Amino acid sequence: MGFLNPINLLWAAALGVLVFIYLRSRSRPTIAVSSLMLFDEVPAPVARMRHVRIDLLFWLEIAALTALVLAVAGLYVMAPVRAHHGRSHALVFDLGAAMSAKTSGTSSLEEAKRQAFGVIDDAAAGDEFSVITYALEAQVAAPQTRNIASVRKTIDALKPYAVPARASALEAAMMRARGASTIDLFTERPPSQRAIADAGTTAQVRVHRAAHGDDNVAIVSLDPGTLDASRGRVVLRNFSLKPRLAELQIKIADREVFHQTLMFAPREQMVVGFEPLKERGLISAQILTPDAIEADNRRWAYGQTDAAGRILVLSPDAAVREDLARVLIAVNPNLQIETADPAKFDSHANGARPFDLAVMHDCYFPGVPAASVLLIYPPAAIPPAARIPGLAVSAKAGPAVLNSARDRGDEAGQGAVVPAVRTLSLPDWMDTLALGTRPGTYDLAPIAAIGSVPGGRIGILAFDVRDRLLLDPDRLDALVITVNLMKRLMAPANLQIVSTGSYLNIPVTGPAAITAPGGAASTATPDQWGRVRLRPLESGRYTIESGNRTVQVFANYFDASESDLAMAASAPAARATGSAASSNSAGPREVQPLLIILAAMAMAAFVIEAAVLLRHASRWGLGHV
Amino acid sequence: MLEARAFEPEFLKKLDRLILGIKRARTVRAGQRTLGRVQGLGIEPENFREYNEGDDLRFLDWNTYARLDELAIRTFRAERQVEMTMLVDASGSMAFPERDDKLGLALAIAASIAYVGMNDNDAVRIGAFAMRRGEMQLDLSPFHRRRESYLNFQPFVAAVRTGGETRLGAAVDSLLHQRRPAGIVMIISDFLVNRIDYEDALSRLIAARHEVKAIHVMGEMESNGAYPPGLYRVRDAESGEMRETVFGPETAAACRRKVEQLSGAVREFCNSRGIAYAHAFGAGSLEPFVERELPALGVVR
Repeated sequence: MGFLNPINLLWAAALGVLVFIYLRSRSRPTIAVSSLMLFDEVPAPVARMRHVRIDLLFWLEIAALTALVLAVAGLYVMAPVRAHHGRSHALVFDLGAAMSAKTSGTSSLEEAKRQAFGVIDDAAAGDEFSVITYALEAQVAAPQTRNIASVRKTIDALKPYAVPARASALEAAMMRARGASTIDLFTERPPSQRAIADAGTTAQVRVHRAAHGDDNVAIVSLDPGTLDASRGRVVLRNFSLKPRLAELQIKIADREVFHQTLMFAPREQMVVGFEPLKERGLISAQILTPDAIEADNRRWAYGQTDAAGRILVLSPDAAVREDLARVLIAVNPNLQIETADPAKFDSHANGARPFDLAVMHDCYFPGVPAASVLLIYPPAAIPPAARIPGLAVSAKAGPAVLNSARDRGDEAGQGAVVPAVRTLSLPDWMDTLALGTRPGTYDLAPIAAIGSVPGGRIGILAFDVRDRLLLDPDRLDALVITVNLMKRLMAPANLQIVSTGSYLNIPVTGPAAITAPGGAASTATPDQWGRVRLRPLESGRYTIESGNRTVQVFANYFDASESDLAMAASAPAARATGSAASSNSAGPREVQPLLIILAAMAMAAFVIEAAVLLRHASRWGLGHV
Repeated sequence: MLEARAFEPEFLKKLDRLILGIKRARTVRAGQRTLGRVQGLGIEPENFREYNEGDDLRFLDWNTYARLDELAIRTFRAERQVEMTMLVDASGSMAFPERDDKLGLALAIAASIAYVGMNDNDAVRIGAFAMRRGEMQLDLSPFHRRRESYLNFQPFVAAVRTGGETRLGAAVDSLLHQRRPAGIVMIISDFLVNRIDYEDALSRLIAARHEVKAIHVMGEMESNGAYPPGLYRVRDAESGEMRETVFGPETAAACRRKVEQLSGAVREFCNSRGIAYAHAFGAGSLEPFVERELPALGVVR
């Protein structure tokens, strides 16, 4: 028993209104009489007894109203499925990375597909099927249909992603499957009790768990170190309950720099160091030993650049120019940094060679030739003809708290307070990198953003860095945000390293051909800002070609809970299947709304009430009804 | 709507055989100035009495003086027309209980008696009174004497509306200020007023030499206390005063007792002053009341 529209139970408040009206009318019905000479004042105890007096009309109205409220709330019961009645099945697939785990050459998803085909084969003719998938989000791959061939084709086309399967996505998938009489969930780990319980109230839930081993070693992180200075590090983790061997190879620009076979104790995490890199470029680490999940066996990083780039720093404050130069030297000691006061700067006196990065603090020179521009505490007056279309900056500045806790993954962290922040209105083509909060409000305001235009990349920092802000040890968040933004602005424009599941905006010059790691090709049309939006769901290299330009995106995958197959295998499967079995025990059942019965009860109550009222009117007159 | 019954032909046929039971013969005292003006249809000797100084010498019995050598004055009985006024209480209390239609019953009784009175070509009028906004509102119809003009009462009766308070004393004051000859005054009311008020009003009518008759009208529901059971706030239709009470068997019995006490008090007072008293409780009692109660009480015969 349950409610299809429980929100409509709010109408039950009408019962309270009815009781109020009843008590009020019971307490003070007024009747006009010819004279009070004929009546005595009633004793007080009798007056109090009126509240418990049984009133047939009142109870009839309560019954009718209750029946109507339950009817609009969609009260239903679970009844056995009637014979010859087409049932609806929802096939829910987990497409998280763990579903790619292979045992004896067969992945968990392939095993799930086999079981799903068995369900389809066992179903009666006329049954309907829908296919719902979930990983980061829930998605209906095939809506409810009787076309079995279409359903099979949809299931055949399913493939696992290199992303974790989120519990919220599972709950969303189960909600979408709620209308079905039977829900078959194909996953490799026990679902949350809440998701099953919610769906189990309206449908029969069957959990099909794909068996797999726990044989998985993953690359947790890859740090290329500092060129010719510090060692690089690779963190690996054995998720198996048994000792494991893993052969690790590290390459830079297709040249092997490290190769070693490592012995892992059960569930050991190991930090492997390698010599400082001698050259810059793309570095990749790969576990050559095959294991259950391939997606976490390879990882990419970009070696710190030591290119001798030209950097221009403009600021009206000499101390700020000095601070920014120090930070830039710390990022790349080989940078050639030129600083200038905007009041004395002549953009035409620097020759034809453009700057690699122009950092402008509290000023803006649109004519400076630079591959990238970093605006720090930008002025409010930015000419419309500038290369930052759509950006608006308020002249008013105030303090803000940097919302850096989320960036660091430290939920308990308290962001630094920066004294002067200008409010930015970012155009759609810019991505927000950091947010802040004005004191006394809960509104999030952008603090750092980056975007690309045909002329190059533009980064913006909304806070002022005067008064040695970047060197203040109590405000390291500001320094971290500044350094990260500088690194991104100076990174190669045709190479990006991201995590799977994240969104990317890649500037292109026309329609872009996208090649996924598996070789699947697709075409994307740029938006009004000349960008294509990409969300890598597989680990590996994506290639985006547009015109003469090629951008490579390397997607790294690692998720500790998803890759931990041993934990999933040892989870209490009996509990999950037990809850499903509880809904199975009475055989197939389906939702049967009680709308007609409740409406009939309400109507009967109204009819009885009308009869009572008629009798009352005939006896006492209409004035007393 | 009960007053419309008094103008239906079937009902009027039943009234045709009734005659107003009033003391039509009046003694005309010799020498009074009103004698000539109130001369009736016939004169018959009534008595002899000793002559007093100032008596009209025209009524001196010369034959007695010749035989007995004593001056004696002859007195006569003068039969004359009387003026009959039906005073109907139109206060707010006459409107409740609504289903009892007390005002309709009172107007129907008044019209019925007026019809009977017109049998003898007596001058009859109907009045309605109530104290409204601090002033006594006494509406009186013109006098009508012949039955052919009976239907002239119908617009007046239909226009009577309830409202205001019952003030019998003030109504009688207004009536007496018209300085009409003494006649018959019938007061039709529920008498749900202060005892002093109705006693004072009836006494002053008697003092003004009117022949007074009181007809006590009440509704069946209010006289039996037969209200729908439950707790109620009752509001006085005239004063607006509120009171909480429980309607039920006990209240009904108490209500009946109070009605009997009220009726008994009015009857007792009327009997003590020679006023004919009759009561009509309930709208269904119109015809039995007119056909049986009124003759029994001598209002009609």
